[in-house]
Amino acid sequence: MNTRSLALSHDILMKIEKPARYIGGELNSTMKEKARVKLRFAMCFPDVYEIGMSHLGMQILYGMFNEMEDVWCERVFSPWVDLDQILRREQIPLFALESQEPVSRFDFLGFTLQYEMCYTNVLQVLELSGIPLSAKERTWKDPIVIGGGPCIYNPEPIADFFDLIYVGEGETRYRELFDLYLACREEGVSREEFLHRAGRIGGIYAPNLYHVTYAQDGTVQGMTPEYEDLPKTIRKETVTDLDAAYYPLKPIVPFIRATQDRIVLEVQRGCIRGCRFCQAGQIYKPIRERSVETLKRYAGELMKNTGYEEISLSSLSTSDYTGLQELLEYLIAECSARKINVSLPSLRIDAFSLDVMNKVQDVRKSSLTFAPEAGSQRMRDIINKGLTKEDILHGAKMAFEGGWNKVKLYFMLGLPQEEDADITAIADLCNDIAALYYETVPKENRQGRIQITASTSFFIPKPFTAFQWAPMNGMEEFVRKAMLTKNSIMEKLNKKSISYHWHEAGTSVMEGILARGDRRVGKVILDAYRHGCIYDAWTEQYHHDRWMEAFERQGLDWEFYILRERAADEVFPWDFIDCGVTKRYLLREWERAKKGETTSNCREQCSGCGAASYQCGICISAR
Amino acid sequence: MSTTLRIKFERTGPVCYIGHLDMMRYFQKAVMRAGIDVRYSEGFNPHQIMSFAYPLGVSMETRGDYFDIDVLSYPDCETIADQLNGVMADGIRVISVTALPEGAKNAMASVAAADYLVSCPALTDDMLQQFLLRKEIIIAKETGKKTSMEDIRPGIFALELREDHMLFMKLKSGSDGNIKPAAVLGALSEIFSIETDSDRIIRLEIYGKDGEGTLVPLG
Ligand code: SF4
Ligand code: SF4
Repeated sequence: MNTRSLALSHDILMKIEKPARYIGGELNSTMKEKARVKLRFAMCFPDVYEIGMSHLGMQILYGMFNEMEDVWCERVFSPWVDLDQILRREQIPLFALESQEPVSRFDFLGFTLQYEMCYTNVLQVLELSGIPLSAKERTWKDPIVIGGGPCIYNPEPIADFFDLIYVGEGETRYRELFDLYLACREEGVSREEFLHRAGRIGGIYAPNLYHVTYAQDGTVQGMTPEYEDLPKTIRKETVTDLDAAYYPLKPIVPFIRATQDRIVLEVQRGCIRGCRFCQAGQIYKPIRERSVETLKRYAGELMKNTGYEEISLSSLSTSDYTGLQELLEYLIAECSARKINVSLPSLRIDAFSLDVMNKVQDVRKSSLTFAPEAGSQRMRDIINKGLTKEDILHGAKMAFEGGWNKVKLYFMLGLPQEEDADITAIADLCNDIAALYYETVPKENRQGRIQITASTSFFIPKPFTAFQWAPMNGMEEFVRKAMLTKNSIMEKLNKKSISYHWHEAGTSVMEGILARGDRRVGKVILDAYRHGCIYDAWTEQYHHDRWMEAFERQGLDWEFYILRERAADEVFPWDFIDCGVTKRYLLREWERAKKGETTSNCREQCSGCGAASYQCGICISAR
Repeated sequence: MSTTLRIKFERTGPVCYIGHLDMMRYFQKAVMRAGIDVRYSEGFNPHQIMSFAYPLGVSMETRGDYFDIDVLSYPDCETIADQLNGVMADGIRVISVTALPEGAKNAMASVAAADYLVSCPALTDDMLQQFLLRKEIIIAKETGKKTSMEDIRPGIFALELREDHMLFMKLKSGSDGNIKPAAVLGALSEIFSIETDSDRIIRLEIYGKDGEGTLVPLG
């Protein structure tokens, strides 16, 4: 019988959008007896339920923690703005979904930080939970607030709000941290002493036990730990053998439709390519594959345990997975028998991928996707994107012959060294693809006009990339470039076949500031939050003016963080993190970029990035 | 060849806050997990042939709702019920499974009446007698932008006060006239100036009609 009672009253649940976001109880969610666990962990994805529940990393840690007998891990998400207001007004503390109990009662509150624009939502969750926003004000009454995920490769802007930061893949060190926590509580040591000891565990950073000094010019001078036995650099944690790592074979199946409403098979971690703008490509190095055998077994189990009608493959660049053909052929056969859809990742267009797409998609409805990221070859060499115009036109021609007539293209504006000719080349490329269609497909075989969708996002330099030294464009320059793209498309013969979309400029500017900010930016985040910023990742909730005002009030110059080119010897706020890839290597890549020289991928030839120190994946396997 | 199986289920507790479409998606997944040899529609995106008797509103609890699935083969009804109950989320349970005779109307088309239970502390037996003695009970009914008047009295088959101030209602349902329990509560509240709460209604059973026109549970 059902004994769970809900934290929200019936009246509240009937007043808000999608009450099912807050009730828990989904299939495969874990209930435990409070009295029988020693440690309670609240895992938070600081965005709305449907987004958070689509994140594989969260399902991994949730499942892994709950396999530990003495730990109970529950979930927390950002309440949507409607419930947010009600919780504040009625002073209802934020609760975890499983037990429906206040988050403040937990031992740990963990945040997964997947994008910088969620930072104000972290503050929202802390505040609604009744936990002091500033880590320094917390006592043993408050949970230990720990953060992980890609954003923490520069944790400094949010350092004030976190007790601990976990650098790297979560599978490896949590048990050690939990044991330390339990021992410290037993021993009765102070909270600071626990954080101090935790800071000695590999991959764990206790930000408030480090002191940052700044040089005259406003750049970071150095960082000193408050205890001598704390490490000066924090080395990223990495799973060396994916086949042996935990995988959630009984993931939670939401009642309401999540963004990712399907089985997710993570085929590999990391990427062999070194696109110079891409942070994920660097921080998850080296690439490590799961074996096809393991994945086949997982697929079967997951189908049985979830009932999903769709399965998808996930990784940074699934075309590069060496077992792709075998795995897809197996899945297609297996899934068609069970009436399950195979949802394809965006694959490099070639004979194989077209054949697969033909089998699992309706050709007339599906589209081809290319991500050249830049319009001109010169620019693609600068960013080290090994995709040529010939590749694209060749792939498109084959696809047109196969019946496709929809093409999606992704580009970036504002890349380093960009000239207007690189931007107008976007229009040229789109036009050439359209012309190729009309050339390739005789009139009588055409299903109407070809539909080309070109989208541009604004380039944002990120830590641990070759472009971490690069200047970023400001708002006006971005808007000018988007207009230039648009106008040059409008001048083309095939303009009616091309539609163009661009990403909002304000959020990109702000993301850029947060990505390469230092500790001083923390007070701006707090100020912006205090002045109503929340859900900044949602364009319609985002208020650029509020952020700019917050910078002004805090007397901090935002331009400093994005507009200038950084000197080769500048000390970065994130330099104390060792993600395997060395700064020396990145600097070399930055120099090569400026000369338009490309670098080979890990499978062609090792370029000595430094990640070989992890002794796993491609770095130690035969090429 | 396929057989239509009628599945009777209940839902109680927090899970009542999920909407009808999500409930359908939930059962589609459950059928997959249970490994039932269900029949799919033809076409590029085949889906399970599944039909619900009556949409379940957000927050409504049920002790007896129904949906139909078509199966290509099945061991026996009890096994299907056990298989489904082996893969349920907390608060949802399959009560029974029946195989329909060939040519039977689907669940939705069969609905003729439904029973409800709702807490109504302000209501007295006297009021209820008075209410039932009325020849007609006219309420304003909103359909889209228009408001029309409707007599709900003929569709009220029975009202009864049970213990703990629970009001039992048997109401006409289905495609040729549907009386919502909230409409009855609204009329009671207006006539006797009492407070009623149409938020936590429990559906107890759904009926169809047999050959003689008598109401019989759907499955
Ligand atoms: S292919 Fe390039 S952009 Fe994609 S993940 Fe790899 S490095 Fe990043
Ligand atoms: S060390 Fe070489 S092979 Fe290993 S990730 Fe770096 S570049 Fe690739």
